[in-house]
Amino acid sequence: MNTRNLYLGFIVSMLLALLLQLVPLPDWLGAARPLWPALFLAYWALREPRISTLFSGFVTGLALDVLFGTVLGQHALGLVLVVYFVERLRGIFVLFPLWQATFALIPVWAAYCFLMFWIDGSTQHQANVWLRWLPVLSTTLFWPLVFSVMELLRQAPEDE
Amino acid sequence: MNSLHETYRRPLFPRGPGLGFRTFVLSAISLALIFHDQRSDNLQAVRESLAVALTPLVWVASMPSRLLDAAGDINLRETLQTENEHLKDALLKQEVRLQKMDALAAENRRLRELLASAAQLEDQVLIAEIVAINQDPYRHQITLNKGSRNGIYRGQALVDAHGVMGQVVEIAPYSSKALLITDPNHGIPVEVNRTGLQTIAVGRGDERGLRLPFLPSNADIQVGDLLVSSSLGGRFPSGYPVGEVYEVKHVAGEHFMEAYARPRARLNQGRQALLVWSESYPVGGDPPEETAEEAVPADAATTP
Repeated sequence: MNTRNLYLGFIVSMLLALLLQLVPLPDWLGAARPLWPALFLAYWALREPRISTLFSGFVTGLALDVLFGTVLGQHALGLVLVVYFVERLRGIFVLFPLWQATFALIPVWAAYCFLMFWIDGSTQHQANVWLRWLPVLSTTLFWPLVFSVMELLRQAPEDE
Repeated sequence: MNSLHETYRRPLFPRGPGLGFRTFVLSAISLALIFHDQRSDNLQAVRESLAVALTPLVWVASMPSRLLDAAGDINLRETLQTENEHLKDALLKQEVRLQKMDALAAENRRLRELLASAAQLEDQVLIAEIVAINQDPYRHQITLNKGSRNGIYRGQALVDAHGVMGQVVEIAPYSSKALLITDPNHGIPVEVNRTGLQTIAVGRGDERGLRLPFLPSNADIQVGDLLVSSSLGGRFPSGYPVGEVYEVKHVAGEHFMEAYARPRARLNQGRQALLVWSESYPVGGDPPEETAEEAVPADAATTP
């Protein structure tokens, strides 16, 4: 896959992640929405050292902040830290089979949720709800799916 | 055999700043943004221009629900007929009430003239469509399709057919964001219709509606009392229904009691809302430069 296709794929997948985050869901499902941008960014950070996922994470985070009306920089900080951890531990993750990597990533999602919760709290957005931790579960469940689908999509053109 | 593609090889001696350093710089920028955005309004312009750039994304994301709505609009003849009958009935009832209302309004105007008061009975309004609902379950915000080009200003009140919905908090040229009264960050000055008691209703951040904290323990408030908006603070026009009290709680050993109210406005139903111009523009908001052509002056009968 050449570099141009790679960047195109990256941008399209990030736009898709933002869309999935924005699509209206019923109230009872809304709280369990997976952290789509974090999922896709983690995938790219893990599989593609050629792309600067760190800066893209920052930009995506700013977009999320504007879309959701949160304090500017909140999601940006969270996504930058997620990418940092995944890239730092890439050497370990690559050795793991998929199911082990799925579990190994749980602390990353939990840290992200906690950070969002904490910044919400410190900017006087009271949000003392246990449901805040639901995205950790749903994101973990979606990781194998996102990972496999992205691998498949990226393998297909290369085999030709 | 080297099966890796040429570009897969990472350089042995990477140039440029390292991962840790870049993370540190970006995190520092994020933290600075958070603090700055929290303390001041200077970043509002950046936010607005980004919001304009992201509008297509919001539009695409709202497509599925729009399509579903459109599919729901395909009706059978029978349903249309029954609906038509219902609407005619409702219209008849409203007209009867309106006739009385005209007489009352005239009487009110005469009385006000006698009292030399300048208060208007009817407000200037503009209909806006709700184009998106914030998908963060802990923030009660909606996006409207009217913006600063229509003369909307920050802090403008938003009502529907049943009561006050919230206020505008963020404006772009062609859209605006409004905070609903059930958001935990929102407080609205209210008046108990029965007794005239002035207090504040704060959002509870969930489906249960509004909270009236710090009421004096001997305050005259009962279950079923209607809360109407009060113009104290200059932000909301007075006299619109806000909610209905469903629980009054005395906490043993406390000096204050609390009441809970259900909002009157249908906050999660319908796609239209009315933007209302209050008589005095708010302290924090920017008054519109000129009145937009689309804005409907509700009544020419303004008292001097």
